[in-house]
Amino acid sequence: MAVAETNNFGSISYDPGSVIEFPRGLPGFEERRLFVALQFQDTAPVVFLQSLEIPGLCFITMPVLAVDPQYRLEMSGEDLGQLELPSNPQPIIGKQILCLTVLSIGEGGPTANLLAPVVVNLVNLKAVQAVAPDSGYSHQHVMVPEEALVCS
Amino acid sequence: MLMMSRREGETILIGDDIEIVIAHIGRSRVKVGIRAPRETLVIAREVKLVRDANLAAAKAGANLGLPELLKKIRPSSSSFSGLDRREV
Repeated sequence: MAVAETNNFGSISYDPGSVIEFPRGLPGFEERRLFVALQFQDTAPVVFLQSLEIPGLCFITMPVLAVDPQYRLEMSGEDLGQLELPSNPQPIIGKQILCLTVLSIGEGGPTANLLAPVVVNLVNLKAVQAVAPDSGYSHQHVMVPEEALVCS
Repeated sequence: MLMMSRREGETILIGDDIEIVIAHIGRSRVKVGIRAPRETLVIAREVKLVRDANLAAAKAGANLGLPELLKKIRPSSSSFSGLDRREV
């Protein structure tokens, strides 16, 4: 087990084989490549995406289907290539990939970024934030109270 | 908004430093080449939205007040979506 310092969780130990790698980082955090996903019983279904490089960098995320059970993932061939997946067909959420939506706490309450979900290849743990400009989804999807319950 | 019609291969200049080339016109997409000073951020609008959303999300994640919360939280005992369990 390896150990990382975090602001939110103190010192955490993690299996190096479970590190999620974003080969290109995330927009705004292009140099941040290595994260671990942390989940706790009392905050489920929230998944904390904790940077292993910056102790204070932690994204609050949630499986996209928990926010929108009808969510339709449309990834570009380039993004699929980042995950080392073929460009056809689209991967299935929960099967080949984990699909998380990044949450923000705005003035009007929590919002979910459905425009650009974080997609993790469950086999090699490569990840990308897949911007889907033609999807029609919002980067600030307002969460209904039931969705927002766990992170309010 | 200024509208200009350009053909493939033609160029638009913005100020002295920025050059936009219509490199290729496809059926539903246009490939655009942009030459700009290194310090000028060139980014698709939706990527800018995601970037700003990520910066806001990181701010939210930095102020969780979690140490208090976590005193009450036990590490999850179930494995998670194929990823290994991590313990805090």
